[in-house]
Amino acid sequence: MLQDGTGSPLLFLHGAGGGGRWLDFQALLAKDFTVYSPSHPGHGGSPAAEWIEHISDLAFHYLDLLDALGLARAHLVGASLGGWIAAEIATMASHRLASLVLIDPVGIRMDGWIYPFLFAMDIPEIVTTVFHNPMAALALAPPDQSAETLALQYRQGTAIARVAWNPHLYDPLLRRRLGRVTAPTLVCWGAHDKLAPLAPCGETWAREVPGARLRVFADSGHVPHLEEPDAVAAAVREFCQLHGGLA
Amino acid sequence: MKFYYFHLMPYIIDHDAPSSWVTLSNRHYDPAVGHRLYNQYLDQLEEAERLGWDGLCVNEHHQNCYGTMPSPNVMAAMLVRRTSRAKIAILGNGLPLRENPLRIAEEIAMLDVTSGGRIISGFVRGISAEYFSTAVNPTHSRERFYEAAELILRSWTEEGPFPFDGRYYRYPYVNPWPRPLQKPHPPVWCPSQGSSETVEWAAKRRFPYLMVFTPIKRIAQIYGEYREACERNGYKASRYQLTVNVPIVVAENDAKARALAEKHVMWVFNVGLRMHPPFWRPPGYMTEASLRRLLANPPKPPSELGFEEADREGYLIYGSPATVRDKLRVFSDELKAGILCSGMTGPSHEQTLEMMQLFAEEVMPHFRDDARIDETAGVGR
Repeated sequence: MLQDGTGSPLLFLHGAGGGGRWLDFQALLAKDFTVYSPSHPGHGGSPAAEWIEHISDLAFHYLDLLDALGLARAHLVGASLGGWIAAEIATMASHRLASLVLIDPVGIRMDGWIYPFLFAMDIPEIVTTVFHNPMAALALAPPDQSAETLALQYRQGTAIARVAWNPHLYDPLLRRRLGRVTAPTLVCWGAHDKLAPLAPCGETWAREVPGARLRVFADSGHVPHLEEPDAVAAAVREFCQLHGGLA
Repeated sequence: MKFYYFHLMPYIIDHDAPSSWVTLSNRHYDPAVGHRLYNQYLDQLEEAERLGWDGLCVNEHHQNCYGTMPSPNVMAAMLVRRTSRAKIAILGNGLPLRENPLRIAEEIAMLDVTSGGRIISGFVRGISAEYFSTAVNPTHSRERFYEAAELILRSWTEEGPFPFDGRYYRYPYVNPWPRPLQKPHPPVWCPSQGSSETVEWAAKRRFPYLMVFTPIKRIAQIYGEYREACERNGYKASRYQLTVNVPIVVAENDAKARALAEKHVMWVFNVGLRMHPPFWRPPGYMTEASLRRLLANPPKPPSELGFEEADREGYLIYGSPATVRDKLRVFSDELKAGILCSGMTGPSHEQTLEMMQLFAEEVMPHFRDDARIDETAGVGR
């Protein structure tokens, strides 16, 4: 787990490919928060965890982490896959969350949208689908194409497939449970998201999570925290200040 | 040596799509052509029995032009009633691909009873691409395979009804009617691509191991691993536990055979097995250990295999009857494979039948010192 900064505790849950990386977004947040940035099991070089067979296992895993860190409450920010885990956590234990920020989460079944099948995409297709600005993808590029790197990527893909192959990228039970979320929630969305487009995906999340606010980032695809880190970090800061404060 | 006639039932077309699997649009499939092909292919299998082949093989693949038998049991059913002597080897049913694998136990038992005990039941995981076309989670593949195999074997050998409560498959009542005719159950074969986990699993149960479309050096290596695994399990592998599948082209002379092989066998590798790269490697289908072994010595995609290399590496056999006999000696005498599962591919149905006849008359009789042995006795169960 990576950790830096001072201030209120903020748990950041990364998306696919974001494990083990301290990027601009976390660095910006660390100016105002104590940022905890764990790698999901099997991601970012961390060991595989074969006991994880459902997205709720990851949610419980992070509730355990909050306990282990002695954090009764924290701000929770999750992007994409991490947003899905964050939403599951919020349906289980909103009382542990000072606030919830979901950045282009996947995780619920949409009316009128089927997520394109990520596991069948080669790297160029993934970049085109996930990024509005492909240059932003460089931050997630693997260091090399060595057997070790490929094996770690396979481990990471396996960890994702264990929870997201079928149903692809969602938990059939999550959508109706979103009504349980009581944490103040900000939904951030990239205007050009091609994996989970604003309409219907972002709009559905904003409708299903009680009282959620929706903010759209005009120059982003699926990963606005990587494509417009300053703007998204500022939005997070502003929202958290309203709910629970920074210190 | 025993000879089994292996059919893929391909839908042979040339196309420019990046993958012959999963995404190749079925608009390319003309059912009128399919009608002719299915019937010709079944004629070829029936003819193989008349020409002296010991077994006839069908297999399961989905959503591709390489092999158009999504249900091998359907094809086996047709052969059961049109043949009387040959074994019918289903190589195999993709166990993890089924939500209800008890259905496989039932269908194999139906075929075994109807055929008078001629069925060989292959258990496979299905190749990587199958996990895209069936949407079964590849990270469950291995566990589902073991669990479904256990369920099927128990359903064939234990008196029902009994409950089965697995991780993936659960039944309050396992009690299939009919039960298979062969005792304790039809022989089980394991067609595989050489993962060490499967080698161990098959060797432990005396299930014959079948290498499909593999270079000869790798066959030798995997056979070695299988024999060692058998010894670890306290017995010596019978030669009928070592089965090989290599495409064969035989013609009057080497030059003619080469020309046919270059065109028709290479279609199987270069077009039939052309695959969008992610379809080769779904996450979790292999263990990380298997993947690391593979990355240490990455195989060339079949679509990039050239004829010279395929020839040199022993991916195929072609030549005059005398040449084919010589090349087959490597499999029978050096690798000591007991069963050859091979199909013939000619430029037309008629020429394929002629090729089969040439093989049956000029090649097969030279390998028949084991004609009186039952290759299924004591193996596969």
